[in-house]
Amino acid sequence: MRELTYLEAVREAMSQEMRQNEDVFILGEDIGVYGGAFGVTRGMIEEFGPERIRNTPISEAAISGTAVGAALTGMRPILELQFSDFITIAMDNMVNQAAKIRYMYGGKGKVPMVLRTPAGSGTGAAAQHSQSLEAWMAHVPGLKVVQPSTAYDAKGLLKAAIDDDNPVIFYEHKLCYKTKSDVPEEQYSIPLGKADVKRAGTDVTIVATAIMVHKSLEAAAELEKEGIQVEVIDPRTLVPLDTETIIQSVKKTSRLIVVHEAVKRGGFGGEIASTIAESEAFDYLDAPIKRLGGKAVPIPYNPELEKAAIPTVSDIVAAVKETLNRQ
Amino acid sequence: MAKEIFMPKLSSTMEVGTLLQWFKKEGDSVEVGEPLFEIMTDKINIEVESYEEGILLKKYFEEDDEVPINHIVGYIGEAGEQVPETPPGESGAAKEQEEVSDSRQAQTEDLAEQGITETTSEEVENEPTETAETAEKLRATPAARRVAREESVTLAEVPGSGPNGRIHQIDVMAFASSNAAPKATPLAKKVAEAEGIDLNAVTGTGSQGKIYRADVEGAKQPASPSAPTPAPTPAPTPAPTPVAAGGKRVKLEGIRKVVAQRMLQSKTTAPHVTLTTEVDMTETIQLRKKLLGLIEQQTGFRVSYTEMIMKAVATSLSLHPSINVTLEGNEIVYREEINLGLAVAVDDGLLVPVVKNANQKGLSAITAECKRLGKAARDSKLKPDEMAGGTFTVSNLGMYAIDAFTPVINQPESAILGVGRINEKPVGVNGVIELRPMMVLSLSFDHRVINGAPAAAFLTELKEVLEQPFKLLV
Repeated sequence: MRELTYLEAVREAMSQEMRQNEDVFILGEDIGVYGGAFGVTRGMIEEFGPERIRNTPISEAAISGTAVGAALTGMRPILELQFSDFITIAMDNMVNQAAKIRYMYGGKGKVPMVLRTPAGSGTGAAAQHSQSLEAWMAHVPGLKVVQPSTAYDAKGLLKAAIDDDNPVIFYEHKLCYKTKSDVPEEQYSIPLGKADVKRAGTDVTIVATAIMVHKSLEAAAELEKEGIQVEVIDPRTLVPLDTETIIQSVKKTSRLIVVHEAVKRGGFGGEIASTIAESEAFDYLDAPIKRLGGKAVPIPYNPELEKAAIPTVSDIVAAVKETLNRQ
Repeated sequence: MAKEIFMPKLSSTMEVGTLLQWFKKEGDSVEVGEPLFEIMTDKINIEVESYEEGILLKKYFEEDDEVPINHIVGYIGEAGEQVPETPPGESGAAKEQEEVSDSRQAQTEDLAEQGITETTSEEVENEPTETAETAEKLRATPAARRVAREESVTLAEVPGSGPNGRIHQIDVMAFASSNAAPKATPLAKKVAEAEGIDLNAVTGTGSQGKIYRADVEGAKQPASPSAPTPAPTPAPTPAPTPVAAGGKRVKLEGIRKVVAQRMLQSKTTAPHVTLTTEVDMTETIQLRKKLLGLIEQQTGFRVSYTEMIMKAVATSLSLHPSINVTLEGNEIVYREEINLGLAVAVDDGLLVPVVKNANQKGLSAITAECKRLGKAARDSKLKPDEMAGGTFTVSNLGMYAIDAFTPVINQPESAILGVGRINEKPVGVNGVIELRPMMVLSLSFDHRVINGAPAAAFLTELKEVLEQPFKLLV
């Protein structure tokens, strides 16, 4: 099978959807000839034209407002924000409008839109361009939140997101863009709310999101040399969350570590941890649940400090050993 | 209905008992007379036997917990019966305790002395005790708790391998599998351990193959036909707690604690005066030489100077009843019996077994009794009544290089004799300096109840008896 980068997989998903559905279009800053801040839409304007690959003014409020309106009239807009940090400017449209319209109109109006946006640190883009704010969105009823970690997942999940009749926030981690995996050319979609066991293991469960999936897999490979079998689960979508897969895994391993890049305090790891604590898996826990998350600091510009602000592979290795009481 | 198990009151001065070990787990079946738990009291360790038959439903206290007398330490009943989660309060507050009728108290003590717990239900109150509130909480993971439930393991017995002793499921599993060892009574286990017999090789005749002592003995027969002696319960040694500064710290508890309290109480309530005199032991030494063989033939024991001094003290006390007294409230009680306490040093303190009616006993009888009581004291096997009722105490440090000392009165007695070593010294005899075996006697007495003159008269009498031991015949 051919390999695609994550970035190419996202582009392929959009192109395939646009080819088969006239209502799908993309709007965002510099997504036309320039191809978007990270090059995701590069070349698309040549196939689909400026009507469907719409450059917008520099106003996230305007872009998101337009998308909500277009979705309400029956279109299926994909809006791209250059950095997920700018979602704060689109907040009213996403949180107060998009999330609630279907509910408030008793189902008579719906908002089938996807807000795609690069998130996370690691590119030296500093405090205003490197955050992971997915927990904010996951907190709001009416919004779906997707966080793919691989090219294969990105394509399948984005197609499902575009097909979804509800607003979906689609977080693409900047460092994932260049990662590659086998991606089938044909159409496929991955249902939202289905976690993926990225690696099977028996000793400890790691639930990781986005780039942390890759770091956790690296840690797991390292730990395997010491005979520790780590199970790595990627929930892929935070809303809806596949609690069943996580619960079953924790019942098997008796130990849970949640790893995400977002600041630990108030992060989504707390949600996963509490879900397990409330579930039947509680009685299977043989160690306190552990959360690894970013430090409560703005992401620093200095590259070394930037690395230090979020969990590293060795942090994960240490956490596993601590949880297994094997330091 | 579930029956309470009480902390027994084993002596008139006992206020709390320290739980040393449980022989049963919650859920174990218990037969009447089976040892339930072991306690350390003022002066002894004793196994408390069950007065009831049934299932041990609840244990409220763990090892090293101090439990006030008559507190409920657990329940015995039928499986599944509901008992309180926290220990009900002391059965009858301390004040009430004193108001309890004499017959009841006597009954309690009778039972207690037999090592049997009294079980009454009407005195239960529903206030949790302080001890229970301060008891440390068990740390175990949810998984460990689940496995413990499934395997019917009592978590409190499982050593935890995690941080701060947290119990993990692997600990419970290891415990459960190690516990799959054959079931045996505590006595059978002791005998097996003492004889080095593997319980796995013993066929139990009890219910579900439970091994009794007889089974262990049966298994042992071919190897050695002699009767088994259960291994003595080792005296509890307080666990040293490491400290950063180095050195060890030992908690003041049990016998040591009681000795500390008693000594302080005695020294602070009784004005001690100590008289000393020097005794020429020539004649006593001669007499002992003559009696050694005789007494050894009779009793199997070699008579010691301690026993000869005890005999002399008993005789002298009978001539000086004003020394054989106790202060009770505002009254001086002249004790009719002469019960001589003998201070015995043990590993972690001081025990004073009592030779009752010493004035009515011959030297052989006193020798035999002192030897027996001394051994029992060192083996922590003294019974409460063997330490009760003393009227005067003898404390002998003559085996050390001690000439004289000021002993502390063993209250409620009013006087105590300290005995130093026998040491050859030049003394003047009829104008000539001679070397004589001399010994210093120190008499401490409570000046509240005994005056100097009668104390001096008693000590003089004692000196004369020891210097002319034929007086013992009179």
